Amino acid sequence: MDWLEEELRRALAREEPPEGFERRVRQAVARRGFPARRWLAAAAVVIMAVGAGTGYREYRGRVAKEQVKLAIRMAAVSANHIQNHVRGVIR
Amino acid sequence: MKRLPILLFCAALPNLVWAQQLKLNLDQLAAKASEHVDLNLNSSTLQFAAKFLDADDPDEAQIKKLITGLEGIYVRHFSFKGVNSWTQADLDAIRAQLRPPEWTRIVGVKSEEDGENDEVYLRTIGNKMAGVAIVAAETKALTVVQIAGPIDLDALAALGGHMGVPKLKIPETKPKKDM
Repeated sequence: MDWLEEELRRALAREEPPEGFERRVRQAVARRGFPARRWLAAAAVVIMAVGAGTGYREYRGRVAKEQVKLAIRMAAVSANHIQNHVRGVIR
Repeated sequence: MKRLPILLFCAALPNLVWAQQLKLNLDQLAAKASEHVDLNLNSSTLQFAAKFLDADDPDEAQIKKLITGLEGIYVRHFSFKGVNSWTQADLDAIRAQLRPPEWTRIVGVKSEEDGENDEVYLRTIGNKMAGVAIVAAETKALTVVQIAGPIDLDALAALGGHMGVPKLKIPETKPKKDM
């Protein structure tokens, strides 16, 4: 077993990192940026999507409201016109 | 076999829903019309629109009250530059769908002088009012309105003088009343 122990000791022996390793790690972290920024970007996208959805719903609601007002107006004018006709006949 | 009645009901459902709405095949008039309005507002559209009607505005509050419980409003309106652009056949196709026992004509006004032909039909199911159809034919305009569901006709007619629309004057001529 001596050869195996020797191999393990060699493989697991403490080694100093190559020169500039720490600097390269710090640079890589700096390039990735602050993680909170990603969350902020994701939150901004969600807020924009919700805002756009709400705006579209508002727009559709206004269109539906105007259509209902127009339909009721046309029905009301026709009903009023006929009612006046009938009253005219009765008089 | 137990599922057969359910399947039959599901198969008939589209026909039952369709039966509430008149078939207003007036597309041929659209080509002749100078102005054409085509509105199909079903129950969900009415409910959705009701959320946007302002309860503090008297007219909008009245409309909100009127459309509560309605299943649909369907409007076809045509304005023409020339006279007699619509034919009796156009009206007959609509009238053919407004037959008893479901539909009853409650008002019929015909004026030979003005060339006007106005009719109001009431739809009843059992003893309950289930809708109204208005056919207003003038020499230069034709309007067909179907309202599915219970509606207060007096309140509706009263709105005719609101919402920026001047109240129509009683005509000077004496029209011939059918009913």
